[in-house]
Amino acid sequence: MASYIIKNIPFEDSKMASSIPVKEKKLMEVKVGELPGWILMRDFTPKGIAGAFQRGYYRYYNKYINVKEGGVAGISMVLVAYVLFNYCHSYKELTHERLHKYH
Amino acid sequence: MNENLFASFAAPSMMGLPIVVLIVMFPSVLFPTPSRLINNRLISIQQWLIQLTSKQMLAIHNQKGRTWALMLMSLILFIGSTNLLGLLPHSFTPTTQLSMNLGMAIPLWAGTVITGFRYKTKVSLAHFLPQGTPLPLIPMLVVIETISLLIQPMALAVRLTANITAGHLLIHLIGGATLALINISVTTAFITFIILILLTILEFAVALIQAYVFTLLVSLYLHDNT
Repeated sequence: MASYIIKNIPFEDSKMASSIPVKEKKLMEVKVGELPGWILMRDFTPKGIAGAFQRGYYRYYNKYINVKEGGVAGISMVLVAYVLFNYCHSYKELTHERLHKYH
Repeated sequence: MNENLFASFAAPSMMGLPIVVLIVMFPSVLFPTPSRLINNRLISIQQWLIQLTSKQMLAIHNQKGRTWALMLMSLILFIGSTNLLGLLPHSFTPTTQLSMNLGMAIPLWAGTVITGFRYKTKVSLAHFLPQGTPLPLIPMLVVIETISLLIQPMALAVRLTANITAGHLLIHLIGGATLALINISVTTAFITFIILILLTILEFAVALIQAYVFTLLVSLYLHDNT
């Protein structure tokens, strides 16, 4: 992906207008004013979205699970996220079960 | 309360899109594929469990039956993980839906029966009549055996659905009762809470046992027919 192409910016260049096209910067290096343009430049084709999911998955997997001494934290974070996702999804039905006098 | 009780069993959909597909595919994220000889801890534990279970389950089959090893192991993994994930709060369990269990039971059962009829026709037909029945009883017994054969997939599906649904319902009810009893009398609420804990332990066991039973029965039907 284009965002992986990082050129080393010498310290002096950051005082000029950006020398790298907006499209190729990582998110942390995009200035706030350029953010809408950066978002629109992203690859929203199905292949691009699938690539984003795959990169996110491997980033999590290699950091927490695919290590020499992985603990229970790696998988329990996934389960907690699953619980939260289901809670958000059923929030509407759950508002009936609050402890109020009148519903 | 009546409507709320069964609302958790409805298939979840977000803005009309059925996300039940995502929830059915979720357990596969928890089983990564091993890519090396010695993997990380999660995969090693899963490999050890799978080897233990498959040795136990495939011991009774002959060479032909052992070609079903992948199918049986993935079946028990899927049902076990889906049932266990359903015990998390607010989650949706696909195996509570009769449609899904029928979709699992009927093709597997039909596969074993058709295998039996294709490769060992006479022996499969002979299963309809147990040995040593008196002559006048034969017509009735053939009818009874046919019915008991045809009921096998239904029993497989309904058994799984009913067990898991009943367990979830009991947890909902007893949990609601505990909450309602707190204002009335704390001791009774405490007793009900103990019952809830015991029930949850039971549900963990039931989740695994149901997976095992389903797979074991399929393998038995297979053993009959290979």
